Amino acid sequence: MTVSTMAERTEIRAMALELAHRELAPRAAALDAGDADILAECWRLLAELGLDRVLLDEQHGGAGLGVADLLASIEELAVGDGGVAMSVLLCNAALATLTDEQLADVPAGARWALVPAVCGAEVTLSGGQLDGRVACALGAHGADGLVMLLDGPAPAALALDANATGLTLERDLEQMGMRAAPAASMELARVACAPARDGSGDSAAALNVEGAMALLRAGTAAIARGITRRAHELALEYAHERRQGGVTIIEHDAVSHMLSAMAVRLAFRPELVAIDPAGLVIDRPQALAAKIAATDAAVASTTDAVQVFGGTGYMVETGVEKLMRDAKYCQLFPEPNWVAHDELMRPARGRDL
Amino acid sequence: MASITAERSLREQFPRLLPHGESVDVGELERLRSRTRRFADEHVRPRAHEIDRRTGKDPSWFDWDLVRAGGEQGMLGFLIPKPAGGTGGLATQAAIVMEELCAACPGIALVFGAHALGVAPLLLGGPSQWDGVLAELVASERAEQPLLMACAITEPEAGTDLEDPDLLARARVTSHARRVPGGFRLSGTKRFISNGSVARWITILMPTDPARAAQTWTCFLLDTRSEGFAVARVEHKMGQRACPAAELTFDEVFVPDERVVSREGDGAAATMIVLACSRPPVGAIATGIARGAYERLLAWLEEDRAAKGLLERQHVQLALASMEEEIHLARQLYMDAATELDHAALGGITSNPAVRALGHVPAGVRRRAPMHGWLASDRARDATVALLHHTTSERAVTRSLALSSMAKAHGGDVAMRVTGAALELVGLRAGAVRAELEKLWRDAKLTQIYEGTNQLNRLEVYRGLCRSETLSCLPPLHPNRHETEGGRS
Repeated sequence: MTVSTMAERTEIRAMALELAHRELAPRAAALDAGDADILAECWRLLAELGLDRVLLDEQHGGAGLGVADLLASIEELAVGDGGVAMSVLLCNAALATLTDEQLADVPAGARWALVPAVCGAEVTLSGGQLDGRVACALGAHGADGLVMLLDGPAPAALALDANATGLTLERDLEQMGMRAAPAASMELARVACAPARDGSGDSAAALNVEGAMALLRAGTAAIARGITRRAHELALEYAHERRQGGVTIIEHDAVSHMLSAMAVRLAFRPELVAIDPAGLVIDRPQALAAKIAATDAAVASTTDAVQVFGGTGYMVETGVEKLMRDAKYCQLFPEPNWVAHDELMRPARGRDL
Repeated sequence: MASITAERSLREQFPRLLPHGESVDVGELERLRSRTRRFADEHVRPRAHEIDRRTGKDPSWFDWDLVRAGGEQGMLGFLIPKPAGGTGGLATQAAIVMEELCAACPGIALVFGAHALGVAPLLLGGPSQWDGVLAELVASERAEQPLLMACAITEPEAGTDLEDPDLLARARVTSHARRVPGGFRLSGTKRFISNGSVARWITILMPTDPARAAQTWTCFLLDTRSEGFAVARVEHKMGQRACPAAELTFDEVFVPDERVVSREGDGAAATMIVLACSRPPVGAIATGIARGAYERLLAWLEEDRAAKGLLERQHVQLALASMEEEIHLARQLYMDAATELDHAALGGITSNPAVRALGHVPAGVRRRAPMHGWLASDRARDATVALLHHTTSERAVTRSLALSSMAKAHGGDVAMRVTGAALELVGLRAGAVRAELEKLWRDAKLTQIYEGTNQLNRLEVYRGLCRSETLSCLPPLHPNRHETEGGRS
């Protein structure tokens, strides 16, 4: 990884935002409808820009950039579509855990997904094989490869082939939000897997798992902020257009104060608290805090955005209610926020909860 | 499993019902609740998920079998006056039905709720409406070929502001009912009309003079088989999908004079009264949604292996207690609003001796001239309005509307909080219960929007309770009948 300059980061942001507005936002409805061809087309565009492997070095086809650059990119992508941004996050996080040898086998443009087996997932590792199940594994359906993160007393990051024997991936048809990160119900029966980090012992693996989890949390916070921005943009625009009682609705305190609250929530920048000044290392407790704050803000702002639109916002065609559904999934991933609060307090309470 | 408050009898929960036993039969309410709960458990809950999924793909798909099943259990007639063959309920009955149905499926409940909303304006027409469409609705229900109603107010450029007399005067109303010999020609577009694509009859509000929308806002009873009426599209909604929301277009649709509900220009007042009547049930819809989420969550926590140990967590216990508390308060609020409307605001009309006496006249006699001619006359309409003024007051209706608005707004917020919190406790890990909670969360959002946004409703609370204002929510005693193009027949 390299430390990018502020100018470079600004350029990356601008590129991602331009892509979000030009390619993703117009396709958000199709992505939400689960159109696999549209997702594949979007993924091709993302891969062309190297957004699928931001953290990898040039040797592995990556841009060799830092975590701050990745978070900045996915926040901008989330302005266009939260699910696509989630797919980018999951792929980058998964690839960042692979060994050099494993990376060498990953073709350009492949979509991988990191699957955290937390919060009720029942997965066990025995003799290099995985058993169990994971519900609603975001991004897992249609992925080319998977990295399973095992939490608990023996944390591990394990790479597995999406077509491995014993692995059943069934599309989660109930997935309410983030549909461009297609979720699957995973059933694992003696699925062969390989440790993702070369030469890592338990402690190294633990770091790896915790680091990956921190990246997921900080990334989810960034996505939530992108969704919050989009909700604010759309609501503000509509408030200037829609008239009620002879004036545009922004003239009503009831609406303008909701818009103000959205703007206040945007004053919080999750990446500023979650990443060290060099933009390389994620502060784990701060990533949890950022995830909780940013996703709660996203749910509040998107709910308000639908309220500003009124009945129109409740209709799928406006794309506003989709933001609400996507935001809700941010609140639940990689763990629900009440569990994130547990995690945040674990060191202070000195025990597992 | 039901929440503790839902398990208590109505007598235990709402002692206020007792002193008014003359106008409300508490035993009848208990039976209505039991019957509705049974219908919800046997017919609604098992089909809720599948219908939501189907209508998510095809918003125009509609389950008539459920309507027929509901009709058999009286879900279509609870607001229809007894002389017309219904059970003669008002807000209390509607609210009780809605909570029970919504705990199972808010979308299916809305089919019956939107039907009741379509019926509500006809109640203000008094006895003149008993033997027309209301009787037809009852007859069709008994013949197991139920007809549905809808109420059309919202327009593309005006929604919430059509539900407030002050805002209505400045609203961008684009619809128009033009007077012609023998009736009116209706033109314009109405949006987001629940049941709009499946209703046989629609009560619709339009101005007869768009430049004076508030003064000429008029309620019409429209036959959807009329020439010039069309369903332009059925909306793809976030939730409550089992009930289609349609955009309706009216191209010079003829409505005869006898299908003007109440009198020309009485529409704004009628809207206020209808909202006072319909907002407690919306509070009940929201309460039912919250209760449905709470019950599903509790069942999952108690029974599902994936939830093992969670009930031991204090966080979970506090969350459940908070949900129980919020649901309980929301129910108290909507029942308070409903009983206020039924007893203090509008109850006097149904218990009025003259109306009761008229109700005892056989329908066959009422339908023959000269009685029919009198019931359909302007004098009868004026008499109905006079009776309204005699039995209630604008202050009583304003206060009732404010309490109803409070119940609606509070309930909507509770529904969002409880469904959101339940979903967060379950997370992405559980299968069926997660899908059910996600559906309820999507369904809940609409309760903060329809029947006026929560913001507008709270402004009604401000005016009606904080400032003790009195709104013009009764039709004028002396109508300002005016001749327009074509003259009155």
